[in-house]
Amino acid sequence: MIAETTRGQRRRQSKKAAIVAPSEGFRLPKPIRRLQRRAPMYALQAVGELSSRLRSLTGRDVIDLNRIMEVVQFVYQQRELARRGPNYLVDDFGFDPEWTESFLIAFKALYRDYWRVETTGVEHVPASGRALLVANHAGVLPWDGTMIKTAVFTEHSRPRHVRALVASQFMGMPTLSWFLRRTGQAVGHPDDTRRLLERDELVLVFPEGTRGTGKSFRDRYRLRRFGRGGFVATAIRAQAPIVPVSVVGSEEIYPMLADLRPVARLFGLPYFPVTPFWPWLGPLGMIPLPSKWRIQFHAPIEVSNLQPDDAEDQHLVMALADDVRDVIQRGIYDNLRLRRGVFL
Amino acid sequence: MTPFTPHRVLLTGVSNPLGAEVARRLAAQVPFLFGCDVVDPVSALEEMDFVHADTRLSVIGKLVRQLKIDTVVHLAVMVDAPRDERSIHETDVIGTMNVLVGCAAPSSSVRRLVVKSSAAVYGASPSDPSFFSEDMTNWDRLASGVTRDLLEMEQLVSEFNLRNERCDVTVLRLGIRVSEDTSLARYLSLPIVPTFAGFDPRLQLLHEEDAAEVIVRSVVGRHPGTYNVAGDGVVLLSQAIGIMGGRPAPLLPPYGRWLSRLAVKTFAGIGMPSHLADIVTYGLVMDCSRLHAEFAWRPAYSSRQTMDALARGKDAEVLEPPSPPQEYELQVYLQQRRRRALAERN
Repeated sequence: MIAETTRGQRRRQSKKAAIVAPSEGFRLPKPIRRLQRRAPMYALQAVGELSSRLRSLTGRDVIDLNRIMEVVQFVYQQRELARRGPNYLVDDFGFDPEWTESFLIAFKALYRDYWRVETTGVEHVPASGRALLVANHAGVLPWDGTMIKTAVFTEHSRPRHVRALVASQFMGMPTLSWFLRRTGQAVGHPDDTRRLLERDELVLVFPEGTRGTGKSFRDRYRLRRFGRGGFVATAIRAQAPIVPVSVVGSEEIYPMLADLRPVARLFGLPYFPVTPFWPWLGPLGMIPLPSKWRIQFHAPIEVSNLQPDDAEDQHLVMALADDVRDVIQRGIYDNLRLRRGVFL
Repeated sequence: MTPFTPHRVLLTGVSNPLGAEVARRLAAQVPFLFGCDVVDPVSALEEMDFVHADTRLSVIGKLVRQLKIDTVVHLAVMVDAPRDERSIHETDVIGTMNVLVGCAAPSSSVRRLVVKSSAAVYGASPSDPSFFSEDMTNWDRLASGVTRDLLEMEQLVSEFNLRNERCDVTVLRLGIRVSEDTSLARYLSLPIVPTFAGFDPRLQLLHEEDAAEVIVRSVVGRHPGTYNVAGDGVVLLSQAIGIMGGRPAPLLPPYGRWLSRLAVKTFAGIGMPSHLADIVTYGLVMDCSRLHAEFAWRPAYSSRQTMDALARGKDAEVLEPPSPPQEYELQVYLQQRRRRALAERN
C-alpha cells in the first residue's frame, strides 16, 4: 500500500470540496458522457473482434491483443498516478516503486521487441535478501542498466527492483538526476551501497564506470579496470553474495568512433562521443541501434565464509575483484559465440 | 562520581520561538532557569529569569560566572534569518566564541554545554552520498555563507571540547524546520512555487516539537557528541508543494543559481539563502541512526507528518500565544516579589 489512506478516506477528509463536487458550467448531455466513459471498452471489443477475424482469415496472429492490453494498461496507470496527487510514499532514497513500474512497459517493449534480449541464469539472482550484481558497462548511454533492471523484474519468479549505483556527476544533471532518483538509483558511493545492502536490496554496480561506457568501438567487449575493488570490500562488509552479470549487445548500440575531449570538458561530461550518426543527425543520432542482446547472470560468489575484517585485506579484495572480472569476461565470450550475428 | 544533574541552566536565544518552547519544557525539569537574548521574549515564563544580554559581548562570561551556571544551552545560532550574512556570521561565530570563552574559565562551573547547529552545516551538493552521517562535514565547500559559519562554529566547539574534558558537549544538527516563519515554509506556501527545472529533491524535515524535545533531552540526560536530528523518512519537494496546496512550476534554470535567487526575492518576496537554494535543488538527508541509538528516542513526527502539520496550520498551536508586553512586565514584577518573600522567609 503506497498511500497512507484510501481514496474514500481522502475524499471524505478533503477540504477541497470543489474538486470532488461536479464542476459548474457546461457539461455534455448524459448519454454522450456515458459513451465517453465506455469508449475505451468499445474500442477494445472492436480490436478484439478484428483480431479474431484476422486470425481466422490469415491463420496467424496479426494483432497481438496482449500488446494492446499493455498499452491500455499503461495509459490507465498514468491516469491513476496523476490522480494520486501528493499521497504517495517514497523510500529514503527517493524511490517511487509505483511510478517506476508504470514505466516498465516501455522498457519491456525495448527488451522484447527492439533488442530481443535473451536472458539466462536469472535464477541465480536471490529471490529475497541482499545481493550485489556486478556487470560490464558499455554503450555510450547506460541502456544496459535499464535492461538488467527489466530482466530481473520481468523474468525472475519473484519480480524485484534492482537499485543501480550511478556516478555522482549524473546526479547533478537536471531531469536525469530526477529520473534516476525516482526510479530507485543511488549515488555510487560506498556509503550508499552499504545502506542499500543493509536494507536487503538488490544492488547493481558497474565497476568500470565511465571508463566502460566511454571506450571506443575498437575496444568492444574488452573489460576495463574494475575500479579499485571497492565493490568487493563493500560486499564483504555487508555479507552480500556477488552475482556477476555479462551483457552482450550493448557495445553495438552506439558504435563510438572518437571522443571529443575538449567538447566534453566544455559541457562537464565524462566524454563526448562521435558515432556514425551522432552528432551528425542531431537527436536522431541518439536512437540506439537494434543489436541482438544476451544477458547472463552467473552463479553467485559467496562471501559468507569471509569475516567483515577481511575487507581491509587489499590483496584478497583485489584477487576477488579479478575473479569477478574473469567470470564476466568469460561470460561475454561465451555469449558472443552463442549470438549468430550483431543484429540477429 | 555521581551523575551530574543540571541545576542552574542558562538558555541563550530564548526569544525565538524554539527557545521559548525549550524554556517552557525545561522550566518543569530544572530548579533554576535563566534565559538571555537581545530582544524581549514573546511570552513570559514565570519560572525563568530573563536577562537582556547579547552573546556577541563578553557580558555572557560574566553572567555565567555570577549566576554559577552549570549547564549552558546555546540556541542563539541563526541559520535561516532574514538578515544579512554579516550579522549571521557575527551571531554564529563571534557569539558562540564568546559563550565558549565564558564557559572555559579555569574556575568555571559549567559541566554541560548543548549547542544548536543545523543540517545546513553539510551543504547540499550533487556529489554527496544519499545520506549524511555525522562525520561528513566538508571544509572544501565554502560556497554558502551559512555553511561556512556553521563549520567555523562547530570547529570552535570541538576545540572547546578538547580543552575542557570536564564539560560534556552536545552538538545537535537540527534538520530543516518548517514552522510558520521559516524561509522554506514561506517558499512552499506560495500558490505557484518556482522550482529548479529538472530537480525534485528529497527533503527531510524536523517538527518544532521534536526539536524542542531533543534539546531538553540532551540537557537533562548525558549525551556527549554530535548528533543529526531529523524526522523519519523523506518527502519530495513536489509532494511538499502538493501538500501545501500549491503547484510546482519548474521555471528556474538549474545553472546560475544567484540569478534565480534574485528572481525569487523580487517576484515572490522570499529571501532564499544560498544554502536553501542548494537544498531545494539537490536535497539534504541526514542519517539519524546515532541519535536513535544514543538517545533511545525517535522524533514523533516523520518528515511527511511535519509537512501535513504545517499544511493544517497546527504549528501555530505548538507555541504559546504571544502575550502583550505589559503582561510580561507584570510577570517579572510578581516574580521579583515572590523571590524577595522567599529570601525574607529564609
